[in-house]
Amino acid sequence: MTATNISRVALVVFAGLLLAVPVVMPMFVSPFWIDIIAEILIWSLLAASVNLLLGYVGLLSFGQALFFGVGMYGAALSVIHWGADFWGGLAVGIVAAMLMAAIAGSVAVRLTWHYFAIITVVFSLILYFAAMSAKPITGGDDGISFSTPKVFSFGDLELSLADQSVQYYTILLVVAACYGLFGLIVRSPLGVRFMAVRENDRRAALVGINVYLTRYLAFVLAGGLAGASGALFAFFGRYASASYMFYHVSGEAVVWAIVGGAGSLLGPLFGTGLLIIFRELISTVWEHYLFVVGAITVLVVMFAPRGLAGAWSDFMKVIGRNKPAETPTSNPGLSKPAADTKLGG
Amino acid sequence: MRSGGEDIVALSVAGLTRRFGGLVAVDNVSFELPAGRLNAIIGPNGAGKTTLFNLITGEIRPDAGRVRVHGREITGLKPHQIVRRGVSRTLQIKSVFSGLTVAENIRTAVMVHEGLASPFRPASSYVAVNRRVEELAAQVGLSAHLQTCASTLSYGDIALLEIALALANEPRLLLLDEPVCGMGPRETEETVATIRNIARTVDIVLIEHDMEVVFAIADEIIVMAQGGLLARGTPDEICNSPDVQEAYLGAPEEEDL
Repeated sequence: MTATNISRVALVVFAGLLLAVPVVMPMFVSPFWIDIIAEILIWSLLAASVNLLLGYVGLLSFGQALFFGVGMYGAALSVIHWGADFWGGLAVGIVAAMLMAAIAGSVAVRLTWHYFAIITVVFSLILYFAAMSAKPITGGDDGISFSTPKVFSFGDLELSLADQSVQYYTILLVVAACYGLFGLIVRSPLGVRFMAVRENDRRAALVGINVYLTRYLAFVLAGGLAGASGALFAFFGRYASASYMFYHVSGEAVVWAIVGGAGSLLGPLFGTGLLIIFRELISTVWEHYLFVVGAITVLVVMFAPRGLAGAWSDFMKVIGRNKPAETPTSNPGLSKPAADTKLGG
Repeated sequence: MRSGGEDIVALSVAGLTRRFGGLVAVDNVSFELPAGRLNAIIGPNGAGKTTLFNLITGEIRPDAGRVRVHGREITGLKPHQIVRRGVSRTLQIKSVFSGLTVAENIRTAVMVHEGLASPFRPASSYVAVNRRVEELAAQVGLSAHLQTCASTLSYGDIALLEIALALANEPRLLLLDEPVCGMGPRETEETVATIRNIARTVDIVLIEHDMEVVFAIADEIIVMAQGGLLARGTPDEICNSPDVQEAYLGAPEEEDL
């Protein structure tokens, strides 16, 4: 079996496992873990948002929580004030986050490296404090809660997020669609431009790429991913809170993306999964579990600088080498390393 | 001459000036380069040659002056807009997409001219682009290295890859900044042959310190010193110019003339 095939089979098995979660998981562990997996899927989109910027265009953002928060409030407020259903709320959340990114990005992507990182923090802090003080609208720190809208109704059949399995599959569907779109875009001519800008922005301009516009499009798309993440999390928790716009949340997403492997499509999903499962297991017995998260991050950066996905693709290359007749190109999504992930901050 | 009436002047620079603080890097430079010839710009270090290129390609804005390419004004345009008008360049310090393979490098440059019409179509499925990638690789002699990562190429091959990237927009004017700098004798020979080949269809302006190369391939030479034009002529005229000899003797690090 070639490395490509192993990667493909692994992907299919992984997708199968995700589909089986609500059926199989309660046989072994508490149904509470279904919600943990759902939460991992949701948060992984925020890590994917960091990854799109860091791994594909080489911009390190510490402000993606801003768009997460906007997506959250977009969903919550449209349900509360307009009686939107799940899909309407999701759409409003994503569009609102992309609009926010379109505004913030027009300034932010003029900068790179630390300056970009700093301005993303500044933007998210400004909006964080604004949301905290606009208590009548946002509920501030306490947030606002709403009751779950229906997902789907056809005649007598009505599906609601109140059902744990329906909620899980709805989240899985949206998250899978987001990764699908992400994958299509990074393989498209636009994705080629992204990687050119990441690798060498001066040369990118000299082959005719509008570097500013390319970074701007990536920033808006990344805002959309973070917005989808936030909107899903609002439906998952049935509430929205300004506290999720704090840059601490952005920082966590950066750690998930780096541990998982910036520059690979699914790496950050595994990074998010590993660290959230870790948090759930350790935080109940030891409140200072963040020490361990810090240690894991340092170890990954030292010994697997391209994250879990990079380690996987190196492993696949070793397997490929044992079969010299085959070309050792593994799944492009898992093997495209960010050779130059600018961790300037 | 392969070019038609309006193409008689490949590059026209008028009153081009750029100051950096108190230093006038390019000082009121004016010249016209005829199409269909291989032009070289030489001069001691700090003469303003690379700054002149940066001004032409829009990476630096001029304080004064105009640039026209094949009769079209390009002053004040952004670098990517100038590339799309058929002006390409290579850099003194070779600059490619080092994390990508040779094929991906060239595809990136070719792809730019495809537009973003179908954002969901995989970049690798554009048949015409793939064919063009192979053509360009063949043109610079990198066909055997298409799947090699650019970061593992030899220095000479990186320079050739950079030329392939510069050719992807089918330029009508190609600016080469020290194309054989840092190459061994064999690589130099191959690169010179490639440049000669390209010069049959593209107007080339070359900055070069290797005088053997310059005198071998240039039809006309412009000499710059201290931001201004010092002399201009055929290789023989330049070789015998007392002004040029003085300028080079005044710069002891340039003793190869």
